[in-house]
Amino acid sequence: MECCGPGYASPAEAIKAPREKLLYTIAIYTGTGIQKPDYLATVDVDPESPTYSQVIHRLEMPGIGDELHHMGWNACSSCFDDGSMSRKYLILPGVRSNNLHIVDTATDPRAPRLHKVIDGAEIKSKTDLSGPHTVHCLGSEIIISFLGDAKGEAPGGYLHLNKDFEIVGRWENSMGDIKFGYDFWYQPRHNVMVSSEWAAPNTFMPGFDLEEVGHLKYGRELHFWDFEKREPIESMYLGEDGLIPLEVKFHHDPDSTHGFCGAALSSNVIHWWKDDAGKWQWEKIIDVENEPHPEWPIPVPGVMSAILVSMDDKYLYLNNWLHGDMRQYDISDPHNPKLTGQVWMGGLLGKAPEVNGVKMAGGPQMFQLSLDGRRLYVTTSLFSTWDNQFYPEIREQGGVMVMIDCDPENGGMTLNPDFIVNFGNEPGGPARCHEMRYPGGDCTSDIWL
Amino acid sequence: MTIYNVTIANRDNAVYEVDARRPLLDSLRDQGVDLPYGCKYGGCITCAAKLTDGQVDQRRQVALNNRQIANGYVILCVARATSDITLEIGVESHGQLYRNPFLDPLKPHELKADLATPKDH
Ligand code: FES
Repeated sequence: MECCGPGYASPAEAIKAPREKLLYTIAIYTGTGIQKPDYLATVDVDPESPTYSQVIHRLEMPGIGDELHHMGWNACSSCFDDGSMSRKYLILPGVRSNNLHIVDTATDPRAPRLHKVIDGAEIKSKTDLSGPHTVHCLGSEIIISFLGDAKGEAPGGYLHLNKDFEIVGRWENSMGDIKFGYDFWYQPRHNVMVSSEWAAPNTFMPGFDLEEVGHLKYGRELHFWDFEKREPIESMYLGEDGLIPLEVKFHHDPDSTHGFCGAALSSNVIHWWKDDAGKWQWEKIIDVENEPHPEWPIPVPGVMSAILVSMDDKYLYLNNWLHGDMRQYDISDPHNPKLTGQVWMGGLLGKAPEVNGVKMAGGPQMFQLSLDGRRLYVTTSLFSTWDNQFYPEIREQGGVMVMIDCDPENGGMTLNPDFIVNFGNEPGGPARCHEMRYPGGDCTSDIWL
Repeated sequence: MTIYNVTIANRDNAVYEVDARRPLLDSLRDQGVDLPYGCKYGGCITCAAKLTDGQVDQRRQVALNNRQIANGYVILCVARATSDITLEIGVESHGQLYRNPFLDPLKPHELKADLATPKDH
């Protein structure tokens, strides 16, 4: 077997990779009042470096108003056997502009450069898609979920790019009865993809109207796909337990059928697996209680906007953006998770208004775990319009990146006192940081065939 | 060609002439007004401004709920002037645009147009 493609032969090999020294995060000005482009920030995460815990480079996008959000690699461990491929390009979609920015991170990892822009209007005219979200590679090709059609109406679909970043067309053969799109993850050995549901771009982009949940403008289903046939075959109606099911993650172990989804508004973790009879099953395994707040007429929901599974499949991490806590659960038995760690940072409950001397605006939102499972980097901004509703002070204060030390042997998590990146002090004015990735691949990118 | 005057109250009352057939965002940006925008089709709210005088046609917008419309917000990327108008622009004008949805719920007639029920029901 040739072994010079990107990534690692297995999750166990990935865990042994050298420690990350650089981290990329997107930083946005869209919706902040600062008339500057969003950018990709390089953060120095090498404790031996004199610029540790600082932004060392900023790559501005060509125009304003993109709202960079999530991003993904051109290639991952799914091409480990393909020596012609390398993990060189990061794809940064603009949720509002529909533009896809292809960034070369390999030529100079500290100072990524723009390689190509796929114009949002071209994507609309060729594929009738808008509102890009999750990027996954698929062997040597790339699929990206889009949440709307060209007019911003659900359910959107999937854009297929080839390895030269040319539009192939729509990836899926059918959307079936799917009402909304959002995140997706696939497990090729079981010929399955699972997708989740946020809302139409026209619904979520302007902000969150709670009443629209009751009017079924937000999702509450998970969809199981025949990955090879590229069509949905079964949907799970989660009901009140699964309001706004967002991030979906399979175990990294390519043989496993277990996966998890965080239902943001219900603040529950949904677990699915294939039973002995070959049927997909689901259950709720974590239920974060709403918390009372002196100024709120109703208890505050956690708003679990993201989840992450450690590379050894032992821990699940989740956030409660409105409460302000990050949690670690031991999921060795995925039916019976055990809470093993919790850290407070920001949030509306007032438990940690300041972290390492920085006043927090927002709560824990996106996070990325080191491959060895010991360092969890966390940022605070969710989405410009939603930030403005729940944490209006983030406009002046900007977002923050913190690091949590995690104990993969015994469980447990503690805030690292030496690391903090305050995006409130950015030279262009307070910016908001969101998703993060490492040059060598991370815990939310790689899939094994 | 019908021309209207647009006065921008929070830019020293600067006045610009606009073509009644063109979206305000395009007309004003062409004349050097620095305005925020995102989707450019009326769906994302980034370009919202506050109309304090006059009228616009913004039938193509789908971002605003009826409360935001009642508060005077207009979506510049699709709105066209139908009279001389006065605007407040940028996020300084967004004070009433964003609200905590749990603390300040919408009444049925304040939802987006496709969901709202008439006020007297
Ligand atoms: S730019 Fe998105 S609504 Fe105008």
